[in-house]
Amino acid sequence: MTDARWVGRSYETAPFDVTEQSIRDYMAAVGDLREDDELIAPPTYAMVYGFDAYWQLWTDQEVALDVAHLVHGEQRFTFQRPVRPGDRIKTTGRLTAINSRGEMELVSFELKARDAEDRLVSDGTALFIIRKP
Amino acid sequence: MKTISTLDFDRVTPGQTLPPLTKHVTVEQIRQYAEASGDRNPIHLDETFARSAGLPGVIAHGMLTMAFANQMVTDWLGDRSLLKSLHGRFAGMVLPGDDVTCSGSVASKDDETRRLVINLLVSNQRGEKVFNKGVAEAEFPATKEQ
Repeated sequence: MTDARWVGRSYETAPFDVTEQSIRDYMAAVGDLREDDELIAPPTYAMVYGFDAYWQLWTDQEVALDVAHLVHGEQRFTFQRPVRPGDRIKTTGRLTAINSRGEMELVSFELKARDAEDRLVSDGTALFIIRKP
Repeated sequence: MKTISTLDFDRVTPGQTLPPLTKHVTVEQIRQYAEASGDRNPIHLDETFARSAGLPGVIAHGMLTMAFANQMVTDWLGDRSLLKSLHGRFAGMVLPGDDVTCSGSVASKDDETRRLVINLLVSNQRGEKVFNKGVAEAEFPATKEQ
């Protein structure tokens, strides 16, 4: 069981510079290829610019989540505005809860992504499930 | 720039179903998603590691399935900027070779706020739910008359 004293720990990504190439790579990977008049990222691209916050949590040696047995259980996003090439976005993630349900451990992570003017771009909530080995 | 939606909000009716979207998931797509997203967790890439972690083999990222649900909604809306929220549970694993189908229906429509609530579900070729309790919210721009 992960030590509950780590609840409250937060992680911040370096500024993520959104490029046309990065959006197009994501669109190609998921197969979401519709062209609009103006290129904006598919909303779930939030997982790309925010990814390093998740990665920092998963690889935090002190918190030591059992990542080999970790699966994504649930995800929520709210989108304040579309994301375009040229945006510079910083995401902060906060470990908000560690609970157990039966033999599983449930880890809650809340994220806020802000642009260069410190305005909210999106927020997210992830629930990770750590299965019993 | 004001975005123009290809979907006419006034013609949407509660209960209406969205055109479904089916995707065939491959090892190559999972690798491509890992590269594009940065998520190179070995449970998605390394067959031996995935099995040692108690999985049947490499599994697709949950966020790839959520991206499919996202696409079904935004293809229907005709404008990616109208999507305001997305939520759901990863109810089952998606493995390479699976065909997953996204389906959705309009749960409610608010003429005042010009918002739609859409229920979402993604199932595999055996009819098993892999993404459930899905909800998307969309908001349409105010019309000029208002």
